[in-house]
Amino acid sequence: MSKITSSSTAEYFAKNLQQVGFSSPSKAVLTTLKEAVDNSLDACEDAGILPELEVEITKLGPGHTRNTDLVQIAVEDNGPGLDPEELAKVFGEYLASSKFGRGRCSRGQQGIGISAATTWAQLTNASGVKVISKTKNMRKAVSAVIDVDIKGNRGLVKKKETVDWDKSHGLRVEFRIDGRIVLNGDGGLLTYLEGTTLVNPHLSMRYKLIDQEPVNIERVANEVPDIPAATLPHPHTMKLGEFMTHAGLYGKISLENFFKKGFSRVSDTSIKEIAKKLPKGLMVKNLMTVKEDEFKKIYTAMHEVELVAPSTRSVLTVGEEGLSKSIQRLGEVDFFSVVTRKPTICDFKPVVVEVAIARFKDRGNGPDGHEQPAQLLRFANRVPLQFDKGACAITRAVETVNWRTYGLNQPKDSVPTGPFVFAISVTSPFIKFKNASKETIDGGDDLIEEIRRALMQAGQKLSRHIRAEGKAADLERKISHIEKFGPILVEGLARIVGAPKSRIEKAQEGLRKLLGRDASHAEKDLEEATSKLQILKAREAKKLGLPDDEELPSEAVVEEHENAAADTPDDETPAKGTKKSAGTRKKK
Amino acid sequence: MAKARIRELTKDIPKEAKILCDTMLADLEKAKRPVLEAVKCALDNSFYSPKVGYLTPGDKVVKTELNVSSVQKMARTIFLLEVLLGNLKSGAVNTKREIYYISKGLMKSNPTYKALDFDDQPESDAVIDFICDMLEVYREEMNCFANDRGGQTYSKNLVVTETLSDGTTAVVDVGSLGTTPFQPKNKPQTFRLKPKKGKVDFCLVVESEGTANTLVTNGMHRRHNCIIIGAQGVPSNGVRGWCKTIEDQLKVPMFFYGDLDAYTLQNIFRTLKAGSAASLIRNSDFSAPDVKFLGVLPDDVKRYDLLCYSVNERDVAEARSLKKAKDALENDPFFRDKKNSDLADILHWLVKEKKRCEQQAVFSVDPKDPLILEKVIVDKIKRKSYV
Ligand SMILES: Nc1ncnc2c1ncn2[C@@H]1O[C@H](COP(=O)(O)OP(=O)(O)OP(=O)(O)O)[C@@H](O)[C@H]1O
Ligand SMILES: [Mg+2]
Repeated sequence: MSKITSSSTAEYFAKNLQQVGFSSPSKAVLTTLKEAVDNSLDACEDAGILPELEVEITKLGPGHTRNTDLVQIAVEDNGPGLDPEELAKVFGEYLASSKFGRGRCSRGQQGIGISAATTWAQLTNASGVKVISKTKNMRKAVSAVIDVDIKGNRGLVKKKETVDWDKSHGLRVEFRIDGRIVLNGDGGLLTYLEGTTLVNPHLSMRYKLIDQEPVNIERVANEVPDIPAATLPHPHTMKLGEFMTHAGLYGKISLENFFKKGFSRVSDTSIKEIAKKLPKGLMVKNLMTVKEDEFKKIYTAMHEVELVAPSTRSVLTVGEEGLSKSIQRLGEVDFFSVVTRKPTICDFKPVVVEVAIARFKDRGNGPDGHEQPAQLLRFANRVPLQFDKGACAITRAVETVNWRTYGLNQPKDSVPTGPFVFAISVTSPFIKFKNASKETIDGGDDLIEEIRRALMQAGQKLSRHIRAEGKAADLERKISHIEKFGPILVEGLARIVGAPKSRIEKAQEGLRKLLGRDASHAEKDLEEATSKLQILKAREAKKLGLPDDEELPSEAVVEEHENAAADTPDDETPAKGTKKSAGTRKKK
Repeated sequence: MAKARIRELTKDIPKEAKILCDTMLADLEKAKRPVLEAVKCALDNSFYSPKVGYLTPGDKVVKTELNVSSVQKMARTIFLLEVLLGNLKSGAVNTKREIYYISKGLMKSNPTYKALDFDDQPESDAVIDFICDMLEVYREEMNCFANDRGGQTYSKNLVVTETLSDGTTAVVDVGSLGTTPFQPKNKPQTFRLKPKKGKVDFCLVVESEGTANTLVTNGMHRRHNCIIIGAQGVPSNGVRGWCKTIEDQLKVPMFFYGDLDAYTLQNIFRTLKAGSAASLIRNSDFSAPDVKFLGVLPDDVKRYDLLCYSVNERDVAEARSLKKAKDALENDPFFRDKKNSDLADILHWLVKEKKRCEQQAVFSVDPKDPLILEKVIVDKIKRKSYV
């Protein structure tokens, strides 16, 4: 009989790096960048610091693996920094996190991210991560290389030295890995950086990607987002297995105390009700001694009892103001619309959905001049989701909204087309992902419906702009129609009839009068649409305390959107009851 | 002799057109919006009475009033009207496709017409149809002919006399053509038909031109005093006018033989017998109201144990035709009429059984007998097994 061995956590992850985002050379670069940036942003937020990041990605030469480059990814922040003793744990040990299971809306959740990046660097380039760190208590910074001891799930510190650093505090990481650099497209590095820019109005960042011009992004908000206090999970969100694991964390207390300490919204009355459904004494039993079949009973009882929905205070929003300003950092915007929904409960979890849609002047058309699908930016707890979009609840929601109502082009059951960016952010302390690499949100009908609502509100706002624009085009078309077809019509009629010049001139004049009336109607329509837009823009600007020319509050346009779809062509109306005499007309 | 006419048309088309244009021009001079009206050619404006025998239009009309959106359509209408009137004057004929190219040519040579340019033929076709509906004339009366498929005719006892536009006549003895069919073109309504001697016993219209050819090659038209016509699917205007002419002039019983399915019953047989909703103003001269549906009947399926296909509802086309059959039972005045309840029953049977049977299935009854179809057909006529 062969011995059953338990491999170390590090060993497990080293073998399964593809599960956490290192499944291809291009993804490895993105994931490394992402883990480092996310950590910097989390750390700054925790410490109440306005983040200033510096990112540089360089190609150093060919990689060791076939068809790869040796890529250096450097991320530097002005965060709190780490004490030298912590470095080994943070970068070299798996499941070492200050955020694990806290029930907060932080970007990192598991304590896997940065150690996985270190492992990848070590596996492909035989050297871990180079770190420079300085806390505000240190006079000099410390520099070191951290390797992962894969057998022992420990970090190994090498080349440790003190260095001068002209920063009062912060952290810099440098990874050298085999990878491939992809800038654009769903999985591109630029897409990640733009997405991160969008949902972090308080972020200033400079980045230089290979041979591209350096980009400098200034913050548009001067406050560090207030991260709401952690919340405990709601019992109804848990599956049996999760429930048992959760119990494992609490160990030696009684079941009753576990309910009180381990969950939100379980009142004394609820505990009594659950107890009634359980065998006597189970409620006061030590959690350590509860057996599996007893857990099943507790689990069932717990689901049978009605509980108050969880509080929504634990969720964080970027906010309409922040999104409005932030989206303009992504390029020249024609117009945009943002919506921040009120926090709500989906599948017993507090969530908030935010949407920003913008039309850009310089995006959208493919090389052949055809409209491309709009760019979809998905976010979970402000982290861009860049892969497997087809399976994501957000994508599903976008595809099931009828965007044509709002004046956008949309192939059936698909993402709309055109030079638009659709950014949808879902924030929740308990986001459910479809897999370990956190790339797609697993959404129940509740969540999808909530996202759709946000999208529809944003669509209504957008339609205001599109309508005004459509009216302008309409007017132009109508005027050109008159000029083009009017004379041809009159001359054709005159030739068939054999009419003299005098009649032609008179008819031309009459035609101009007629069609001029139509054109002035169109002009009026345009004026109306434009002034409506202006009023609402002003209202929105006032609400957000912005200079004019900004967005309008969603509520303000909801009631007006009905007319948007009511525009019908008026040239061909089958007139009922108009008598005509011809042929045999027999009615039954 | 006067020019050949499909019908005794009382109206003088160029004159009517002139009056219409004059009214439009006068309206414009008064800064009043001209309105063009055309019969609404749709099922919801179709009526059927067995006494009349074909679908006739109700009083719904499609109105086009001049405004900025319709000015293009109106300009195109007048433009093509002028082209067609020119043809009428010179006696030239054209197909719709040719008219499309003639328009393109005119637009090319005269820059003011550029704005009217047609992107593709359906655009110019729609305008031609609109002109005909508006003037309530047949496209053929505007000297515009389609390439009419089908209508290949075989008989030992039929003589066709045609008066040509130069006044001479052509006499064709259909029985002298061997295996080559006689095929009517343009205006079959203008032909004079006569049996060579006595009377013709019956006329058989077969859905499949190939199967008609099989019957003829095997000598059916030699053994029987009949006319055999291949319809080649949905009957073209030529075929419809031809059947109408045979029915009117020879007064022979006419039978249709084709597949037992919703498509054949609705699109092929109904069009042959009563015309279509799209051609409401012309059905009177393009339908043969007395034609009977000889088969394949549900009874034949039972009697001869014919091989059937089950309708696959997951197949888009088949599912659609099944749905169309249901719709027809509800909305098509032809199938809703009491007089045609036997035909409606066949549709009911098709909807219920979800089966279809092809016209060639009869060959499975006695695989060794090449004449089996002929025998079955003759037997069915004798037994009065038709609807
Ligand atoms: N730039 C940084 N500045 C300060 N502290 C940091 C920095 N990066 C990481 N940390 C600390 O190291 C811990 C581990 O980071 P790691 O990325 O491994 O896990 P995580 O971010 O908590 O979760 P995830 O695996 O989901 O990324 C963090 O929880 C944080 O406390
Ligand atoms: Mg992390």
